[in-house]
Amino acid sequence: KMAAGSSGGPGAPCRHHAQLGACESRAKYREGWRPRAVKVYTINLESRYLLIQGVPALGVMKELVEQFALYGAIEEYHALDEYPAEQFTEVYLIKFKKLQCARVAKKKMDERSFFGSLLHVCYAPEFETVQETREKLQDRRKYIAKATNQRDCFVLKKVEGPKKTASKNSQHDCPWSTSGSHVASDSDPACFTSSHGVSHNTVYPSGNANQSLLTSQHYDNSCAEISGYFGQNTSLTPSVHPGGHLPPAPLMQHRTVPAYNGIDRFMPRTTHLQERKRKREEGNKFSFIGTSEDNTEVVIGPQLPEIPKVDMDDESLNTSATLIRNKLKEVADSVSTTSVEKPESSSAKPLVKQRRRI
Amino acid sequence: MELGRLEYLQALVTEFQVTDSTGNKRRCSLALSVSSVSSHTRRFSFAEAKEQVLANLANFAYDPSNYEYLRQLQVLDLFLDMLTEDSETLVEFAIGGLCNLCLDKINKEYILEANGVEPIINCLSSSNEETVVSAVTTLMFLTTPQSRAQTTALPVVECMLRFSLSANTRLSNLASIFLQDYCSPPQVEEARNLSKHTAVGIPLPKD
Repeated sequence: KMAAGSSGGPGAPCRHHAQLGACESRAKYREGWRPRAVKVYTINLESRYLLIQGVPALGVMKELVEQFALYGAIEEYHALDEYPAEQFTEVYLIKFKKLQCARVAKKKMDERSFFGSLLHVCYAPEFETVQETREKLQDRRKYIAKATNQRDCFVLKKVEGPKKTASKNSQHDCPWSTSGSHVASDSDPACFTSSHGVSHNTVYPSGNANQSLLTSQHYDNSCAEISGYFGQNTSLTPSVHPGGHLPPAPLMQHRTVPAYNGIDRFMPRTTHLQERKRKREEGNKFSFIGTSEDNTEVVIGPQLPEIPKVDMDDESLNTSATLIRNKLKEVADSVSTTSVEKPESSSAKPLVKQRRRI
Repeated sequence: MELGRLEYLQALVTEFQVTDSTGNKRRCSLALSVSSVSSHTRRFSFAEAKEQVLANLANFAYDPSNYEYLRQLQVLDLFLDMLTEDSETLVEFAIGGLCNLCLDKINKEYILEANGVEPIINCLSSSNEETVVSAVTTLMFLTTPQSRAQTTALPVVECMLRFSLSANTRLSNLASIFLQDYCSPPQVEEARNLSKHTAVGIPLPKD
């Protein structure tokens, strides 16, 4: 359910929807590869809701949503008929399940051509309900507490509604500048850390991390950061997920923040690409299964079958290669009896090229 | 954080001294090395350059991995200083930066120690929507058992009451959260009674 529009509320053009003129005076060393307006992003500006302007009025809503769904699960979407739109274009609202998905989608889809028209994508926090805003702020709290290893019990009088994901920012796709360069000049200067909040050292949790979370049962005190991990109704009992369970998702344990050593943080570009790919696959996996809960909750209980992983050691992957190899061998050996069909590796195992998932 | 980022940050921030209105020398750490901005197609103003740098820093402040560096470079002081600037844009960016980084415990303590609450409260009466919205959130984030007497002082609560009735959803949402989660019912009641009688302590933003 969407926030009901108050008078002049959601649906009315807001200043923060306006596309600012590109900044032309930026110094060379700070120039991104695209002209960007000067803007500061705070948690108030960001939202799970995205406003998309400039959609050509060709009846392409389905395609639009499919395109955005690449970045994460979408909760709701619809056209905004009252919103002022340029001739022959429409305006849509898309609500993502997670803020970080909205963030990535916005970054990727803004200024993208879509059916011949240039899309303008921006956040639309004015569509949030009070509770959604509240949760957004709480998620931000938890993220900071986790990222800085601080258990800061903030002052809240009561426990709010179902505490959502503890680490809304955890599952970041790393939307680094696509140029991948680590030098400032190539990346978006306003989003140097890849549009805020991304840890480059995304690490899958060790078993210990999960352990310590499991033992904490103080979900009704004011340490929301811990309680957030469990929602309101879990301790060691499995929470009921209509859609079944997922394996404990990579609790994107934000790395501990020690005194900085710049060198430690340097990650070569290829690693980023692989990280992104892996995270994308993880993200897609979850959206296939259709998790409706945050996937950082530690879940105990029978798991739904995962999407079958490709077994890289499975010989069937190499059927064609093996066939060809054997054929070649046959031809080379002609009458030799050593050309034997040996699917399993012989001592001189040919280099098995791993199939890459596309 | 890569080496490049540190250098980049440092390039943004250099120290110089300014004399403020009371004749005191104050450290104001916002300047650009001239060479970095000189090579440009179009003439820019120093004011614009300042805005860009401040915006960059404020956006950096969103990522906790930058906090140590930002503290070293005294960017927190910079943000606080900029709150009293004439330029609406500089104020907007500065309070945005504070909003972004004030949840971190060390930053929070630093800001509170530096008497940052007062200039932030003053931002509530700005005519700039982003400034006000950032200020509301920052006050929430800065509320601790020790600071709440300040952050939820009567004029503030009274202001939030008015904001909660605003047609601006973002503002009303935040104000409602402030009242519900950070103020006690007696506080809200007191503020309600106050607004019935006297002139307000904090003027409404113009927009």
